[in-house]
Amino acid sequence: MSMLELRDVTRDVLLPDDRVLHILRGVTLSVAAGEHVAVVGRSGTGKSTLLNILGLLDGPTSGEYLLEGTPVTALSNRRRTRLRGRDFGFVFQQFQLLPGRTALENVTAPLLYASGRQFWRRRDLAAAMLDRVGLGDRLDTMPDKLSGGEQQRVAVARALVRGPRVILADEPTGALDVETGQQIMDLLDDVASETGAALVTITHDLAVAARAQRHYRLAEGVLVPVDVGTGARVADWVGDVPTHLPAARADVPELGPSVPAAVQP
Amino acid sequence: MTGFVGALVEAWDELRIHKLRVLLALIGVAVAVAAITGVTAAVQMLSQAYQEQFDRDMGRQVTVAVDAWAQGEQSAPPAALATEYARVLERYDITWASRDLATQVPFRFPDGTRPTEVRAVDPDLGTMQRIQVVEGRWFDDADVDALAPLLVVNRAFLDRLGASDLSEPLTVQLGDVTPVRSRVVGLVEDRWRGAPPEAYVLYDQLTRWYTPDAAAGFYQPAPTLKMWVPPEIVDDLTPRLRSEIGAAVPGWEVGTYDNRSTGGAALDGATRWVALGVGAFALLLGGLGLVNIALVTVRYRIREIGIRRSFGATSGRVFVGVLLESVVATVVAGLVGVVLAVAAVKAIPADVMFGGLQDRPPFPVSAALIGMACATGVGALAGILPATVAVRVKVIDAIRY
Repeated sequence: MSMLELRDVTRDVLLPDDRVLHILRGVTLSVAAGEHVAVVGRSGTGKSTLLNILGLLDGPTSGEYLLEGTPVTALSNRRRTRLRGRDFGFVFQQFQLLPGRTALENVTAPLLYASGRQFWRRRDLAAAMLDRVGLGDRLDTMPDKLSGGEQQRVAVARALVRGPRVILADEPTGALDVETGQQIMDLLDDVASETGAALVTITHDLAVAARAQRHYRLAEGVLVPVDVGTGARVADWVGDVPTHLPAARADVPELGPSVPAAVQP
Repeated sequence: MTGFVGALVEAWDELRIHKLRVLLALIGVAVAVAAITGVTAAVQMLSQAYQEQFDRDMGRQVTVAVDAWAQGEQSAPPAALATEYARVLERYDITWASRDLATQVPFRFPDGTRPTEVRAVDPDLGTMQRIQVVEGRWFDDADVDALAPLLVVNRAFLDRLGASDLSEPLTVQLGDVTPVRSRVVGLVEDRWRGAPPEAYVLYDQLTRWYTPDAAAGFYQPAPTLKMWVPPEIVDDLTPRLRSEIGAAVPGWEVGTYDNRSTGGAALDGATRWVALGVGAFALLLGGLGLVNIALVTVRYRIREIGIRRSFGATSGRVFVGVLLESVVATVVAGLVGVVLAVAAVKAIPADVMFGGLQDRPPFPVSAALIGMACATGVGALAGILPATVAVRVKVIDAIRY
């Protein structure tokens, strides 16, 4: 059974001038436990919306989302939120560490929403996780005293501390240099395979994407599998607007926060 | 359980990190709580001082006084009255009582013998009228049998004797025909500036050692009997006293009065409400400041709230979290306010300000609790608005920006 499965998912946004913007158009995706999947695409192709739907931060307009075979789109907000806290770990491009809190406090933060042993032993668990990402000696350091790579390690530790079953990484290396980015990806890969968590990486960095077992290209809201093994040139993945689709977005201005345009470099 | 503890931990962390802004917002709340508690305490002290002053003049609540006047030549002697007084005290089981006779007695001062104001009393009067002895002591029960009359005098009396304090044994001749050497054992302050020399003496001793000139006595003064009694028995007691004492001493008119209608509690009403009003207003202002700052900082914290949402923070949890921040903060501020009030009240020099309190009122715990409750309420109210804003934060927007 798949860990998570999208079936013909669409996401539409109503623009202020009453036009409908189709961000995702029938996305179908299945990720198994322990699998690493990469999604690449240009800015404004709906990558972040896809990630938000996967992470239960946003709901699809139509289509089905199954988590271990259970449909989650019909769940209450509260249930989805609890599920998100328990089963998903997020790694963001800009780290998104909580300012003014030490590395340890940042990693402890998600455990405040856990219960039982995870809640009461949160400091020990957080310290152990920071040790695992190689920051055992920086527990009490504030984020602004850490390098970019270290901050992203803290973010990785924070994403993993509750033992999620799915890790969603949104441009995890976007703010890092190549070498540091590689180290972060090594870390993510290692931890994901250690714990059997599914890892979905969304990136525009082909080197990062190449580390995944399966690859998809998101273009104009359509998710297309890319078979690296066929010898297609890597540059072809990102491609241009597929010829069989109308250039629907050509006339759409960059509008609203939900339109993931102009944000990514 | 973990949800609530988690929310509390989170709220405390928020406060710890935003110390400065919280501090600024909370000074107002702390000051308001301090004002409410402190002013209540001060008003209680003032009331107490007022009450004690009143007690000194009129006796404690409720003091019942019995007066008797001889109506004619055939009147029974005052001795019969004295016996009857003793009988009613026993019969009605009255613990605190004192005869009180204001009269004039000659004393031999260095500049000659002068008739001087004297109050002939029993030892209980010291408690009943809060007589404050500044030097030496008041009478006790054993003094009745002393071999010489004892005196408690005011400062004017002492001055006339040419003494400045009681460090040396001090005696004065009492009476004119057969004077007796009396000893000064206590000193009280003058009741007002320029008061004449006055002395307290025990009633039984005065009657033993001094008989007023018989020639003056077509009218024999009788002492007033003062009794400090529980308020609930006054209405029942006074008519009985009038009829029983009246029957025992034919030819005497007997009257009673009590001090229930006068003084007391005047400060409790208006002053207290004004004080509480001022405190409540200050609390409101502090609360408004808190709302203002909380609203601004929630805007700053939209990203943070979004991140927490990605950890699985439910809307309820975000709401309670922001609300609790405000409540935890105001509770802490309230505690600080109460501590300030305690310190301030302890520091009030009650002796200087109120002319000496015999019974310092205890710290007003109820006022402190009310202040704390108000602070918590203001915190909750001030938290609702920013908490509502926080819940509306869209996670995706929050994280993307």
